[in-house]
Amino acid sequence: MTASRWSLRHHRLQAILAVASIGTAVALPVVLLSVGGGVSQHELAQLENSGYQLSISAGGLHGISGAHALVAQIDALPHVASASAVLSVAVDLFLPTGGVTPALAEGVMPGAFLATQGPTTAGLFPHPLPLGDPSDLAHYANGTYAGPPALDVLVASPFAQDFGFGVGATLGLGATTNRSAATPFTVTGTFGVPAQTLGPAAVFAIVLPLSDLQQLTGYARAGAGSGALLDQADTIEVALAGSAATSVAAISQVQQEVQGLAPFYGVSALTDQASELRASIGVLNGFYLALSSVSLTIGLLFLALVLLRRVEAERRTIGIRRALGLPGRQIALGLARDGLVLAAAGGAAGTVGGIAVVTGLARFGSGSVATAAGLALFDPLTLGLLLAGVLLLSLGASAVAARSALRGSIPEALR
Amino acid sequence: MSPVPEIAVRAVSKSYSAGRPEEVRALRGVSVVLPPGDVVSVEGPSGCGKTTLLNLLGLLDVPSQGQVLWDGRNVAVRSERERARLRLTGVGFIFQRFYLLPTMTARENVELPMRALGRPAGERRARADRLLADVGLSPRAEAFPHELSGGEEQRVAVARALANAPGLLLADEPTGELDRANTDQILDLLLRVQAESGSTLLLVTHNPRVAARARRHLRMEDGRIVGDGPEA
Repeated sequence: MTASRWSLRHHRLQAILAVASIGTAVALPVVLLSVGGGVSQHELAQLENSGYQLSISAGGLHGISGAHALVAQIDALPHVASASAVLSVAVDLFLPTGGVTPALAEGVMPGAFLATQGPTTAGLFPHPLPLGDPSDLAHYANGTYAGPPALDVLVASPFAQDFGFGVGATLGLGATTNRSAATPFTVTGTFGVPAQTLGPAAVFAIVLPLSDLQQLTGYARAGAGSGALLDQADTIEVALAGSAATSVAAISQVQQEVQGLAPFYGVSALTDQASELRASIGVLNGFYLALSSVSLTIGLLFLALVLLRRVEAERRTIGIRRALGLPGRQIALGLARDGLVLAAAGGAAGTVGGIAVVTGLARFGSGSVATAAGLALFDPLTLGLLLAGVLLLSLGASAVAARSALRGSIPEALR
Repeated sequence: MSPVPEIAVRAVSKSYSAGRPEEVRALRGVSVVLPPGDVVSVEGPSGCGKTTLLNLLGLLDVPSQGQVLWDGRNVAVRSERERARLRLTGVGFIFQRFYLLPTMTARENVELPMRALGRPAGERRARADRLLADVGLSPRAEAFPHELSGGEEQRVAVARALANAPGLLLADEPTGELDRANTDQILDLLLRVQAESGSTLLLVTHNPRVAARARRHLRMEDGRIVGDGPEA
């Protein structure tokens, strides 16, 4: 039986506490890195699978005006497969059962919308969108909004289920809670929500033609006299055709051309957004690592205290070993071995514990916490590096204990 | 067996001050030479510096002043690592309170110094078993110290001290916690081992019966050697 094994067994409480503290210290980074990494990767994947390559948006709080006209101009550019203006506004929804509820509505150009979505989002909707005029230009009528509105609306399946109505029902939509001012829309279809309910598609309760939503909410009106027309959208998404969609040069060229059409708006390439997101993820990971370092430092300080306590308790036996002439290196190695065993046990316990916490949150948690936990990625390389870091730092804790063990005179230790 | 060196201290003083309001001078300019194969007792009242002298001779401590000479070389100025190596290969310690490692069996305690020297496991075990047989403890080889009597513990300590066949055996009150029968048994053992190996044996004691077994007697008082001769 080696002294180390005996030592761990006969200082069981200290060993358990050290393992628990290191386990707790390791569990935090496991949770942070796995959930944070998973959510980041999910966001990045969503962005990279968006289905569009360029996005036009206005700075500040105001949106893009003249959206229909701008979309027509962009559509005419080479390499452009489709451009789609989108407006998101909260409206009041008057239910067939008589209730009223606020709901987030998304106004889209029915024919272009799905062409600018990635396969995951597009797959949630019926093809083609049953929202009347695919171009959304009939109602828009060159900015007069004198054409016939579609008055069709798609409803998120869970929303329809919750409120007990389906396709064919009539919903009143209004910008205020005044039912008499509401406009009747016909439910012409439903759309699903993604399994991972993080992202925009999850929160939209209804989707309707852009011009209908603009007019309903005051984002479409002719200016008084010679005033400018308000034809507002939040963003315009542009999908490129064929190989241009993956060509950096083509994307950059179309980006410049669109910027020329809309000099006052920001035109960003998705590749740039992805780069920015990656940079943000890097910053976030750095934050996670900093937080993890604090946690690990506390755990390893506790390990150092346990090892120092052991040195104090075994000062005489260490003194005997030194008196017999055992090299200090052997004594230090014994402590390092103890530290490594405790750190490895704590690291393993923390990793298993962290994974269990995340799995439990995904299974039994609620809302976005459960969703985020469900996205967690347990990267073996990251976990391995974390464990290696813990073992390395435990050597530092052992070195502190070894220094204490080998300091002082042997006769003092033997007293 | 390690070559038996001539051990000497020259004008050695040792003071302690840590944690005390006044400096305590444990040794005051002590000089003595121990030729190879000598059997020496160090006698004197408690606190006269006997153990301090033993600690310096065995390189457990370093003097505040003076030299500790092994075959004429001042080993007190060497690094702790070098002194540890000398202790391991050249010195066998036997303490009053035995100082066996409680976590190890009798055999493992005896094997410990050999293990530190990197001796092969088979060789270690064979020598440990032989040494335990020499001290009459073969049947107790697997016993832990708390399972042994005081006399048995000290016999294990003697076996451990002999593990690396040192040239210098230092025994600090080796029979201080033993009854008369065990005292005689341990002394017989030590003297037999010394005679067989030719090593130098230094016994620190205040027991006249123990001292009487030595061939040379150092008498200490107040940190000084006040007597050195064949008469107890």
